[in-house]
Amino acid sequence: MSFLHNYIYYIGAFGLIFIGLFIILVKHNLIKVIIGISILETGVNLFLIAVGYISKGTAPIFSKPGINANQMVDPVPQALVLTAIVIGVAVLAMALSLAIRLYKHYGTLDLRKIKEQRW
Amino acid sequence: MTLELLLIVAFGGAFLTYFLGKISPKLRNSFAVINALALVVMTACLYGQTVEKTLHFGFLGMPFVLRINMLSWFFAITIVGIGLLSIIYSLKYIENEKRLDYYYFTTLFINASMLGTIICGDLVSFFIFWEMMSWSTYLLISYKGGDKALFAGIKYIIMSIIGSLAMLIGIISLYTHFGTLEISTLAVQIQGASLNYILFILIMFSAAFIIINAFWPLHTWLPDAHAEAVSPFSSILSAVLVRKGMYGLYLFMYMILGLNILNKLKFGFISFTGVFCWIGAITIVFAALTALLQNDSKRILAWSTVGQGGYMILGVAFATTLGMAGGTFHILNHCIYIGLLFFVAGAIEYRTGGIRDLDSLGGLIKKMPITFIGGLVGILGLIGMPLTNGFVSKWLIYKTLILGNRPFLAFAAFLGTWGTILYGYKFIHNIFLGQLPEKYKDIKEVPFTMRLPIIILTVLVFLFGILPGIPLKMINIIGVSLGFESLNVSLGGITSDSGTLNTINIFAGILVAGIIIWLIFKAGRKAPKVNQYDSYAAGAAIPKGKYHYTVNFYNPLERMITPYLKDFVDAFYIKITEWIQNLCNSVRRVYTGYVSNYVMYIVLFLAFLIFVQLKWSLW
Amino acid sequence: MGELSLLSNGVNPVLLVVVPLALAFAVPLIGFVSKKIIKYIPVVAFLFNLIVALLLIPSVLKQPIVVKIGGFAPPFCINLVAGPIGILFSALIALAGLLVSIYALNYIREGPQEKYHILYLLLLTGATGVVLTGDIFNLFVFFEILCISSYALVAYLGNKAGIESSIKYLIQGSVGSSLLLLGIGLLYGQFGTLNMADIANQIHSASSPSIFVPMVLMITGLGVEAAIFPLNAWLPDAHSSAPSSISAILSGIAIEVGLYAVIRVLFTIFDASNFLMFFVFLGVLTLLIGEMCAFSQKNIKRMLAYSSIGQIGLIVFAFSIANTYGVTGGFFQLISHTLGKGLLFLAAGYMIYRSGSMDISTFEGMGKRMPLTSLFFTVGAFSIVGLPPFIGFPSKFMIVRAALSTGELLFTILIGIVLLGTVIEGAYFFRVVQVIYFKKGNGNPERKKAPISGLISMFIFVILILVIGVYPNLITKILNSAASELLNRIDYIRSVLG
Repeated sequence: MSFLHNYIYYIGAFGLIFIGLFIILVKHNLIKVIIGISILETGVNLFLIAVGYISKGTAPIFSKPGINANQMVDPVPQALVLTAIVIGVAVLAMALSLAIRLYKHYGTLDLRKIKEQRW
Repeated sequence: MTLELLLIVAFGGAFLTYFLGKISPKLRNSFAVINALALVVMTACLYGQTVEKTLHFGFLGMPFVLRINMLSWFFAITIVGIGLLSIIYSLKYIENEKRLDYYYFTTLFINASMLGTIICGDLVSFFIFWEMMSWSTYLLISYKGGDKALFAGIKYIIMSIIGSLAMLIGIISLYTHFGTLEISTLAVQIQGASLNYILFILIMFSAAFIIINAFWPLHTWLPDAHAEAVSPFSSILSAVLVRKGMYGLYLFMYMILGLNILNKLKFGFISFTGVFCWIGAITIVFAALTALLQNDSKRILAWSTVGQGGYMILGVAFATTLGMAGGTFHILNHCIYIGLLFFVAGAIEYRTGGIRDLDSLGGLIKKMPITFIGGLVGILGLIGMPLTNGFVSKWLIYKTLILGNRPFLAFAAFLGTWGTILYGYKFIHNIFLGQLPEKYKDIKEVPFTMRLPIIILTVLVFLFGILPGIPLKMINIIGVSLGFESLNVSLGGITSDSGTLNTINIFAGILVAGIIIWLIFKAGRKAPKVNQYDSYAAGAAIPKGKYHYTVNFYNPLERMITPYLKDFVDAFYIKITEWIQNLCNSVRRVYTGYVSNYVMYIVLFLAFLIFVQLKWSLW
Repeated sequence: MGELSLLSNGVNPVLLVVVPLALAFAVPLIGFVSKKIIKYIPVVAFLFNLIVALLLIPSVLKQPIVVKIGGFAPPFCINLVAGPIGILFSALIALAGLLVSIYALNYIREGPQEKYHILYLLLLTGATGVVLTGDIFNLFVFFEILCISSYALVAYLGNKAGIESSIKYLIQGSVGSSLLLLGIGLLYGQFGTLNMADIANQIHSASSPSIFVPMVLMITGLGVEAAIFPLNAWLPDAHSSAPSSISAILSGIAIEVGLYAVIRVLFTIFDASNFLMFFVFLGVLTLLIGEMCAFSQKNIKRMLAYSSIGQIGLIVFAFSIANTYGVTGGFFQLISHTLGKGLLFLAAGYMIYRSGSMDISTFEGMGKRMPLTSLFFTVGAFSIVGLPPFIGFPSKFMIVRAALSTGELLFTILIGIVLLGTVIEGAYFFRVVQVIYFKKGNGNPERKKAPISGLISMFIFVILILVIGVYPNLITKILNSAASELLNRIDYIRSVLG
């Protein structure tokens, strides 16, 4: 049990990453692929958080008395994730708007049929 | 200073010509001629000088060396000479084409870069000028437009790039080995290198020189390119540009490596120079017989360029004093008579509206007498008749082969000459002799600016034929500077233990015989003159069309040799290109257009990297 | 020289990132005042950047400038490292940015111009940020700025091809950047720092498998943008469907910056010298695939895009030889590719505009219709093929020298293959040149020049190509110090960490 307890976030993160990659590889629908990208990014974000997380840790505020530095959660990954989330949202918005335009041009979102640019 | 000035005048003149053309075509034309003339004068002034000069603003830290000696001068004078004649010839010939600024610019630019390769003394500059020459030539081969010309251009540039890249590997390898690319320093340092390494370098360099020299089996660009280029440029191509390959061989084989090393390059019974000799022999025979089959005036000349290259390499690669002299002299002679012949072919084209098909010409002798004389003399030189320059050089080469106990090579050379006689006669006969077709009745002799180069070259053919001592003296100096023994040269030829040649005596003899024959004919009855339309028909209706035989000229012979003379080398190259094209087309299918595949590539790449690490633990 | 270094003391490399970024967001504001001046903003921004970068060169050659942001000392702060490589790249970016923005003054006439200029500024800001930053996460952020703005710019025309390429580019790009971020996370988990010099300092203290996984992830992630085969499937689509000015930037700057990130990661952070042999083969493979795909293209921009892949392969090959000549040659080839391919795309842009099609066969007789543009195209093509006296020749010369100076038979064979790739490249470029000049066009032979702004920018490209090609010593000094920065990672670490 303690293995699961210690590594649950990592397992979750890599689970999400693999689900995301699987969706991108297997699904033909553009929207689903975009969802896959989103899941992939979420997995990576979760992983980043997990890197800095300490079980039952607290916020790294040194002015509070009685807290040791080794109980503090590393704040850097959280800052990173905030940035990464913002970037992810930008990419997502971009992707969805492109999907709308693509649908107008092709009348379908099936990626197997959107193959005009090739070779 | 003069050497830099020469380069500056050459390149600057080319650019200036282009811009003057924007102002006025007349100005451009006269400036182009003046520029070419100035180059001839400047080069002539450099006669006999041996200068080496290092300029320290070189390429990537390597100094830029300028150098002239007899060998460079010898090639330089042919370049500027033919350049000048070709420009003069172009004035009228090309008058009505478009983009004349471009034409003159490129011609002068090619001449300038050829001069550059000749007078630079380090291999980097040599390569830079060489490449400039390659691409500017490519820009001019396709000048006329049309599918054939485009194909010729692309064929030329691809082969030439393959060659020059091989040379680049050789040059850079030399640089990493010896840390210098100055020819004079290299020549000293390379003596200590291992034979295997030298062989590698030699093969790399030879690839480039064989391609540009169009020796079998890398000759396939030449017939197309020479036939498709405009005639004044064909004569530059054929007379000097192709022979830059010979210069390269001199430079590398004799100047840098030297006789010592060359003689050591033997592996069993195969020696390096021997391989060159055989390449030369095959080239001679193959080209002479293929030229027989051509029906296009310029294609015949193009193939003969290929073939004559074989004689040169036979002489030069034989690496004896006589052979060297013969090969070198043949370069000069070839330059003169092939330039002349291309001018003649161009003159015919000019007056007949671009006809090169030998089957539809004939009887132009009366209409264009000077052109005829030029063509006849050129062909005589090509064949090697006594009293023409070709005779002397071929004599030297045959002599070398016989003295060297190489009967098969000598036989190949004779066979080549025999083929040359046949196609030479075909050239003369089909254009000038026989019956004049109706449509050419009003044809006139070409204008003066086109006649002048023909006349000059005709005179030169005889001059060097009767007084071969003039160029042979220079050639002797070249030979001595490359480490050969000195020859005993007189004005009329060569005196040596194995045989003496004195063309002045021959000239005198032939003159006397000629006068006697003339007197006999004079004394005899006058031959009746018969109109060409007043012939055997005996009152019956005479066919209006042509009825002298020019079609299927050597038919039985052709039937005999054609099956063996398919240009299978060319076919092979074309197959390879097709194959590459198909391969490229199938490689393209990697990019399927389906985005999941692309993501799959990314994942696979990742997996592959991890696999590599797990398997070989590179990191 | 004295005055120059005096001047450069007052110049801060941060300006290189800040000014274009600020101007990018100022564009809409300025747009309220006057719509007409918007298009001059990128010109101003990159002129400024170019001047700053050039001013910085003398002092950077002596000592890399490390800018600490927020007052912390490295490794705790976000820092910019303006070493020779950084300045070399930012000068190159500013130069290409300036010339292409001059070109775009007239070229970009349709669509939402305001957004074009914002995105253009952002793209190049991102690129400058990537090459200057000393912080691995910052690298990711700037990289994303670059990527997102290029996704948007590829779709700028809004046509079928543009949208399709853009979405494909986006999918691959975001998978790549997720992998990159994952790698960064793993590194942070092990070393607790994001500073590149700091990680590099500690890298040998960790066990090899735990280093290997983040390295592979980062290489793959960055490789997508750097267009290493087989991660480059987005490139031909994106480069061929973007507006030509953007293609020039994508080809000339974006993939180069991606490549910069790859070599930075490989050389400086991970010191992966054993792994480079793999990249030698990868480079040759990329080159061959790129050239072979380009060989029978009928679409001019697709052909140029595939040729970019080939060039990237050559550059990867050069860097992976990993001796001084190789790295110098790699940088040189980078510059020559930026100039040559930029020029080619720009020239092709107006030729496409005139002929109305990207099909090469419609360029018949272009030599008469647009004489100058055709001439510029020819110069670019010759330079890319590596013919003297253009800039492509010295760079190719250096690469061949690097390969041969290793003295190994393997490298001699590989350079032979590489040069065969050059022959293929020559074949398709020469074919296009022939079509432009010698194929007799049956179309309208009216003479119509490209607009003056386009001609000016292309002309400057040509001048640079010729001048550096004839006299490569102009830039060898900075190239050499860039190469030594890349090869001596200890010096880099020391100069950042103090």
